[in-house]
This record gives sequence, structure tokens and C-alpha cells, in this order.
Amino acid sequence: MSDEQNIPRPGFALELVDLRREFGEKVAVDDVNLRVPRGSFYGLVGPNGAGKTTALSMAVGLLRPTSGHAVVEGIDVWSDPVAAKRSLGVLPDGLALPERLTGGELLTYWGRFRRMDAAAVASRSAELIRILELDEAEQLGTLVGEYSTGMRKKIGLATALLHAPSVLVLDEPYEAVDPVSARVLTRILRRFTETGGSIVISSHVMSLVEQLCDRVAIVADGRVVADGTLDEVRAGVSLEDRFVGLVGGTEVDEEELSWIGS
Amino acid sequence: MDRLLISLKFTLLRNSSKGLRVVGWVVGAALVAGTWAAAALATNDQVRGSVLTLAFAGWVVGAALGPVLMSGSGTLRPDYFALLPIDRRALGRGLLVSTFVGIGSGYVVVAFLAAAVHAALVDPATLVLVVPGALLTWVFAITVSRLVYGLLGAAMRSKVGVEIAGIQFGLMFAAIFTGWMVVQAAIESIPALVRDGLPEGPITAVLDGFPSSWPLLAVEAAATGDWAAALGLLAALAGLDAVLVVATVAVLTPRQEVTARRRTGRRLSPRLVDGGGILPATQLGAVIGKEYRQWTRDPWRSLEVRSGVWTGIAIGFFALVSGEYAVLAAFSGLIVAFMMGVAALNLYGQDGSAVWQSVVGQDATSIRSDVYGRQWATVLVFLPHALLITVVFILLTQEFWVVPAVLAALPALFGAGSGAALITSAVGVSPGVDPRRRVGPNDANGNVSVHLWVVMALIAIGVLPTAAVILWSLLVPSTALSIVTVLVGLVNGWAAAWLFGRIAIGYLQNRMPDVFTRIRYGKVFRAEASSGVLDWVAALTLRGEQEMVAKKQKERQDKIAARSRA
Repeated sequence: MSDEQNIPRPGFALELVDLRREFGEKVAVDDVNLRVPRGSFYGLVGPNGAGKTTALSMAVGLLRPTSGHAVVEGIDVWSDPVAAKRSLGVLPDGLALPERLTGGELLTYWGRFRRMDAAAVASRSAELIRILELDEAEQLGTLVGEYSTGMRKKIGLATALLHAPSVLVLDEPYEAVDPVSARVLTRILRRFTETGGSIVISSHVMSLVEQLCDRVAIVADGRVVADGTLDEVRAGVSLEDRFVGLVGGTEVDEEELSWIGS
Repeated sequence: MDRLLISLKFTLLRNSSKGLRVVGWVVGAALVAGTWAAAALATNDQVRGSVLTLAFAGWVVGAALGPVLMSGSGTLRPDYFALLPIDRRALGRGLLVSTFVGIGSGYVVVAFLAAAVHAALVDPATLVLVVPGALLTWVFAITVSRLVYGLLGAAMRSKVGVEIAGIQFGLMFAAIFTGWMVVQAAIESIPALVRDGLPEGPITAVLDGFPSSWPLLAVEAAATGDWAAALGLLAALAGLDAVLVVATVAVLTPRQEVTARRRTGRRLSPRLVDGGGILPATQLGAVIGKEYRQWTRDPWRSLEVRSGVWTGIAIGFFALVSGEYAVLAAFSGLIVAFMMGVAALNLYGQDGSAVWQSVVGQDATSIRSDVYGRQWATVLVFLPHALLITVVFILLTQEFWVVPAVLAALPALFGAGSGAALITSAVGVSPGVDPRRRVGPNDANGNVSVHLWVVMALIAIGVLPTAAVILWSLLVPSTALSIVTVLVGLVNGWAAAWLFGRIAIGYLQNRMPDVFTRIRYGKVFRAEASSGVLDWVAALTLRGEQEMVAKKQKERQDKIAARSRA
């Protein structure tokens, strides 16, 4: 058996090669290299503004890179977008949806737009809506624009899963999701990787990433400062300590903010 | 607290567009001057009385409708203060009080003081009634204004609010298109009104019953010596004011339930979600269904539809009452078809960042389905309105000879308009405020001035064949030619829709991510240099957008600088 480094490119679910995005003077993503092996649950962690969302936007074909490549299952996202997007399921963070559809209507639109069979769309939508506990809202005719932040995450995840992709790219999937729904979410994602799918999530909740992911990359100032298996990156301490050690943190002295609680 | 709210309101208003406010001040001043001039120029007491009752009623109606467009009343919203530990009723009262302080409110009271001219001329002793009368009418008008706005919710949150905003925009567009007709009618009718007053009858009876007329009636009663009746009228107005104030404070007092789930309805499209539906279960059908629902359910899209419909109705009505140009009313449906092109000129911008779905879901046919689907949905939404308005106005004018021309022009305009709108939507995507943060009626679009001209030019080019045949059939009328005209219109419309659609599809084929980045980042990240007419228009619209953003930013910085200097 060859060692992991020598596996040819198609062995990776997602590969970012020297990926770079400049916004004027600012370098948001600075020649990032990442390899997400098939079947892995990959966590991208970093402080606010580290470039996680920008990197993921380029990886899924939403934002043109200044230079470099994003490759999904061996296919370059920017030179053959149609083929690459077939295997991608995407949950972006903070973007709008067709706000005036109900969750069921949105999934029906999305499935048919992706040219799925109507019966499959209907049965999968019904199942996703039930499992993600959006069925009450659907019964009441609640529109996506009236959903809470957590419900939006859930319907977004349903759209990402609907066409049974092999690679999921999820930007902050657990944000504002209640603990009960978070468990459901975790079960769905675990089932996804167990059946051979690959997942990349971004998050700034370290304990969540530690609990879910088998591989981690820490991103700061647009650069990858550490990556590898969870244990390699942790290097014997908790992920949070390692993260703060690499990224740097602001300590609060005793005398600062002394008025709190006074 | 009332003072705090008033100063907060002025701070917020200072941050609104200066140009619009100046226009408001000038128009308001002109209307005040007009009210006083009408009072001064009326030929006799009876004429002056009826002209002033009409003008005062106009002021009250204007005050009730105005805030939907000019944001004075809506500046402070009860829910801004929902989390503050302040007395709820005091807040409701403060919100009402803050409405009274403002330039518009000042204009209203000065206009009502025009009753002084009437009083001085009928009997100078009655002048004592004018100031209390004007103040009571002012309280009436401003309270009604705030009450109406409060009941509508913010205009864009209710169907009635959208309808009223639609009527206002419709009247505005109609006035722009047919300004000459209105100005001419006004020039002809106002001197007659000032000279002869309103004809006696139901109109004057209704106007006299309207509360804004009561101070004028009080002046007239006092002039005949009936001071008891005069004071009675003012007391009645004061009582009405008191009731309105109590009701308005109650409406403006924030309540807990408002934040609770608003929708307690039923499943919206069970058959569709269960795998059925009227439309075919294809990519194209999916886009048509999604777009049709967005058009009918989204307040900003509905406003585009309602504005277009009311523009057609208003122009038809203006033409009908003008007498001379009445025949033009028979073509009102065509206005609606034309307005569809204008309403849909920024569809991707209307979607805002939701366009990510069209990027991520791109496949070999998705862009074609997206463009043609949007065209179909737009036509399906506007066509019934255009047909209804056409039928009604042709029946009203009895000008049946226009039928073949209208039947040819409608499909041509719908085809060319839907295609032209998709071209500007694709090339000049102009984001405005992202869907969930939209509040005001103008939030959905950014700077679309270039788009408007491009759409009008493309529609004009797109309907040329039909226009030529219509002209020919008018010059040489014959039944055979009428049939040919209609056929040419149908083929022309279909061809224009297809051809313009193809242009939009060709443009978007490799640029869908650029459409998204224009919305998300306000710019396009593209290495290769662009050429061609479409790219030139794209660059032009993008520059317009960036200039508008830069201008707003500069205004804000100047203001901050000016304030820190002070």
C-alpha cells in the first residue's frame, strides 16, 4: 500500500491548491493549500475575519480566486464548474434564500431545478422536513423569510443534502441551532461520512470541532497555520489552547473591567 | 422622553437622502402657497368656502397617504424600543407627539390657517375662531396620518400598505408620462374652480361633513350670528381629536404579541410539495413556479406589479377625463405591458444574495431554464392585469376599432419587455438591500437609471415590426390586414422574447458567479479584459452602483466631520 501522500488527486474529496483572494490591498486568503481526504470530516477553524468563508466561497464556485485552484473529486471547480458542482452540497453562511417560499416549496424548487425525479424530490423533502422538525412550520405555511436563524440553517442543510452529493461544504452549520436539533444534525452528518461522503465545516466553536471532526485546519490572517489529523493539530493539549497559542489571545487583567459585578 | 424621541427622529431624518427632502420642502411650500392663493383669488364667499373645504380635505388625505412615501411618520417604529425599560403608554404618546414636530407638519398647520382669509372677508369678528380651528384640524390631520400608518404597519408589511404605495407610484409614473395632459387639464379647470366653486350637490354635502371643513363652517355660522353652532362645531372637532389621540396612542403602544408568530395559516401548496402541481416537474417548471410565488408573495415585487397596474389605470383615467385624448385610454393595457419591462429590469438584484443557488446549482441547462422561466413567470403575473385593463378601458371608450392594434401590440410588448428585462437583470444586476433587511419601498433596487433607458430602447427596437404593421393597417384599413397585424404581433413577441432571452443566456453562461459577486461584494473579480456592448453596459451600471455607494459614504463622512468640528 502506498502512503497517503502518494494517493493520486482523485483520492481527495476537496483540494485547495495555492488558493489566493485579494480584495484591493488586503489579502483575504493567502496561498492556502488544503487536502480533504474522501470520507473525512474536516473542520476549518479560525477567528472572525480569518478568511474561512472567503476560502470556502472559492472552493464551491461562488467567488473567483485571484490565483490557485479548487478541485472537487479531481475536477477543477473553475475550469469545469458544471461537473464539479454535481458532487457538491453547499450551505453558505448568512446568504438569502428565495424568502417567500415555504420550506417544502423551497426543497421542491431546488430538487426540480437540479433535475431530480419529481417523486424522489417529494419523498426526500418530506423526510428531511420531518427529521429536521420543520414540519410544524410547513403545516402553518410559514415562509423561509419568517424562519428563525436556526430554522434557516436547517432548511439550508436540507437543500445541501437533497440531491445526495458526495462532498458537503457547510459554513457554520451549527450556528444558532438548538441542542436537540444539533444532535439530529450530528447524526445526519455522521451517517453521511460513514457512507463514504466527505464533509468540510467551518466553525469557531472548538469543542464542537473536537467532538465531530477527524481532521482540522487552523486558519488565521488568510493562512493555514496548522493542519492534519485532530491529534496532530492538538499536539497533546486541547484544541482551544492550541488555537489560542497559534492565533494569539487577549488576556483580561484583574483590574480591567472591574466595574462588572460591582 | 418626548424631547428625546423628537431629537432621535431628527437625527434619523438627517441621515436620509437630502435631495428627496429638499423636493419635499419645495412641493410642500408650493401647496401651502396654492391653498392661500386659492382662498385669496376666489370670486365670492360661497366659492371660497367650497374651494377651501376641498383643499383642506386634500391636505388631510395627503397627510394620511403621504408617510408611505416620505418616511417622516415611519422614522420611529414602536419595535425599536421594545427592549427598553420604559413605560409603554409613555412611549406610545411620545411616538405620536414626535409626529407633530417636523416641516411637513408645519406646512399642514400653515395651510389650515388659510381659513383666516375666509374669516376676514365674511366677517372679521370670526377671526378669533381661526387659530383654534386650524390647530384642531392640524391635530386631526396629523393624528389620522399617524393612525393610518400605524394600522398599515410599516407600508411594506401589509397588503393594504403595498397597495397604497402602488397607487402612489402609479400616479407618479402616470404624471411623468402624461404630465402634459394633467397640466393642461389643471390649467383649464382650476381657474373655473376658483371662479365658480364646486357644483352644488352630493360632493359639497360630503365635503361639508368632513371634519376638516368644520372650522370653515364654524366661521360661516358665526358670520350669520349663530355663535352657538360655531362653538359646537369646534367642540365636536375637539372631541373627535381626543378620541383619535387615545386610539392612536393605543395603536402605537408596543405590545408583546406583535413579536409572536404572525402566521397561523395552513399548508401553502400541498400538491406541489407532494410531487404534483400545475406546472411540469422540470427545471423550467421549477423556475416558473418559484418566480411566480416570489412575484405574488414578496412585498417589493408586488409593489412593482401594483405600481405598473396603477400606472395603466391612472393614465387611462387621465385620458378618459381629458375628453380630447379619451381615445388613448383604450391603450391603457399596453402601459401595463410596458411597465412589466420596467418592473422586471433587475430580477437578480431583487433576489439579492439568494442568487448563490443559481451559481451552486449550475448545470448544462440551468441558465437557460432560469432565464426563460423568469420570463414566463413575469408574463404570467402581468398578463391578466393587462388584459383586464384593456377590456375595461375599451368598453369605457367604446373605441372598438383599436382592438386589432391592441391585440398585436400586447404580445409584442410582453415578448420584447420580458426579454429586455432579463438582459438588464443579467448585465446590470443592482443589489439594493439584501432581502431580509429590506424595510422601505425603494430598498429592493440600487441605482437602476441606466437599466431604465436600456430597457426602453430594447423594447422600442423589439416591437418595431409590429409597430410598422400597425401603422400600415391604420393608414390602409382592411380586415385582412387586421388579421395579419395580430399575427405579426404574436410572432414578433415570441421571437423578441426568445432572441433577447438568448442574449441574456449567452451573457450569463460564464458569468453567473460574477452576478453573485456583484451582489455580495459590489464588484466583479475577473482577470480577462471585456469587450462588446453588453460588457460596456455592465461596466456602466456597475460604475453607477459604486458611485452611488461612494456618494452615500462621502455624505456620511462629511456629516461626521461636520459634527466633530461643531
